[in-house]
This record gives sequence, C-alpha cells and structure tokens, in this order.
Amino acid sequence: MSDIIRHILVYIDGTEHAVTAAHYAVCLAKTLHADLSALFVVNTQALGTLVKSRIFLEDEEMEYRNELNADAERYLHHVKTIGQAKSMDIRLISESGSVSGEIKKCVKENNIDLLIIGELSRIQSRHDQFYDETERAMRSVPCSVLIVKDEDRVWEMYDRLL
Amino acid sequence: MSLLDILTKDDIAVPLLSRDKNGAIKELIKLLKNSGKIADEESVYDAIMTREDKGSTGLEKGIAVPHAKTAAVNKIAAAIGISPDGIEFGSIDGNPSKLIFLIIAPPAQSGAHIALLSEIARLTRYQTLCDELVEAKSAENVLAILHGEE
Repeated sequence: MSDIIRHILVYIDGTEHAVTAAHYAVCLAKTLHADLSALFVVNTQALGTLVKSRIFLEDEEMEYRNELNADAERYLHHVKTIGQAKSMDIRLISESGSVSGEIKKCVKENNIDLLIIGELSRIQSRHDQFYDETERAMRSVPCSVLIVKDEDRVWEMYDRLL
Repeated sequence: MSLLDILTKDDIAVPLLSRDKNGAIKELIKLLKNSGKIADEESVYDAIMTREDKGSTGLEKGIAVPHAKTAAVNKIAAAIGISPDGIEFGSIDGNPSKLIFLIIAPPAQSGAHIALLSEIARLTRYQTLCDELVEAKSAENVLAILHGEE
C-alpha cells in the first residue's frame, strides 16, 4: 500500500462522467494498492427545496425519492462490477442529504486521502457558478481532489489494467 | 445538466399568444414538437395536466413550473413562455403567471429532472432576473439574460 494514498473515495452521481471516474479510481487504487470506496448521495436537500418552493407536492417528493434511491442502488452496483472485473473490492456507501455536506462527512469519517470526481459540468451562466454541489464539495473537503477527464484515455487505461 | 444545456431559442415563446393556462401549456408543447424534441403532443399534454390536476404549479411572484414525467419523451426537454400581461394559473398568491417554465422528462431520468427543477427554483429567487425575463423582447434576449450576458 502506498504511504501517500491509502484510501480513495470516488463520488458517483449517476452521470457518465462519474462512471468514467469510477474506472479511473479502480486503475489508481489497484496500482497504488489503496482501498477504494464509492459514494452516492441521494440529494434529499434538493427534494426538500422543491417541496418548499411548491414545485413538488408531498407525494411527488416521495415518488422521486424512491426513484433516486433505486438509482443509487443501480449505479453503486454498476461500480461494484467495474471493480470486480479487475479483482478490486469496492466498499459501497449510499447516503442522503446535501451532496457537498455528505461528501465532506464521508471523507472525514473514513479518513479518505484522495477524492476522485468526474468532469464538472460546464458553467453556462453566472448563476450556475455558485450552485454546483460537486464543485462545492471539491472546495470544502479536507483531502486532495482529482478530477477525471479524457474518457477515451481512461477506458484504454482500464482495459489494459490486469 | 443545466437548463441552458437543453434550451434553444426555438423552445422560447416571447410573448405567449395564449391568454389561458391550457392554451399556454399547449403552445409550449407545440414549440417542443416543432423543434423535434417530442413526438406525441397529446401524451405530453395529458401528463402535464394530470400533474396540474393534483395541484397547480403556479408559484408566487408570477412564476409557473408545469412539469411531468412521461414515457412519450426520450430526453428531458424544456420550454419557456413569457406573458407580460400574465395568465391565470391558479397560483399560490393568486397573481397571474408571467414566466412559465415547462419541463417534461422520461421516467428514468429523475436525477436530471430534479437538477433542472432545482435550477429553476434557484433562478426564480432572483427577482431582478425574473423582471428582466418578463421584459425580454425576443427568445435570443431570454437566452442572453439566462447566460448572464445582459
């Protein structure tokens, strides 16, 4: 095990970028003999905001919450198989709440020394730049952060990994 | 996913020609049909109205966010309608809706659907932005305001 990086956390948010990040995390964890955990956060804070602003009804919130929980299970299972294909055991963590808050909490509680995230979404407007939850997590976690880019190269690297 | 990732000038009605809620919703769905983002207008209209029947999405301060999930679409689509005179939408505060954001999503994209609705909830907290949108003179103008260019 590397002394520099012992425990890696990859954040999974149901996007293709996050799946690419998971492939990269498997490559890096295996190469460094580091432990690897994957976190999915069901964004119940956003659901709460939608109810509060009256965009969602209470039963609508419940329906979406159930769907997001199912998404969490499905994506984390997919990440597990990405690890298993390379004989890498990944610890799966599902939480709910505020995305940035839960990532930060997970990093602290599990002594994570590297957070891996997928490519951040493009900032389209001046209003967007204050509200990207993953970017907020990136800025607030106490560990180093790696943003995975170049999907083709990551896939190639993963395919070559023994 | 951001609203500006999926919104084009063809999805924006400035001003809305309709004077009532049903007409405005139909007009926005028509825009999405014309831009090739949806195929079955009727199914989308039914999905939106089924949701409206449970409770109006007319919010405060002249904002309405009619939305629904339906298998009639493959991708999330959004349309915006501006009605400077306002449309009776059965809103919480009783005021007519001047800014209508219509969102339609396939059932399997709850995460992206919530992200989009959350973005609209955030945007509509900026009163100045909403005022600028209501005063917009064209679809291009609306896009520029959302981009923060005006």
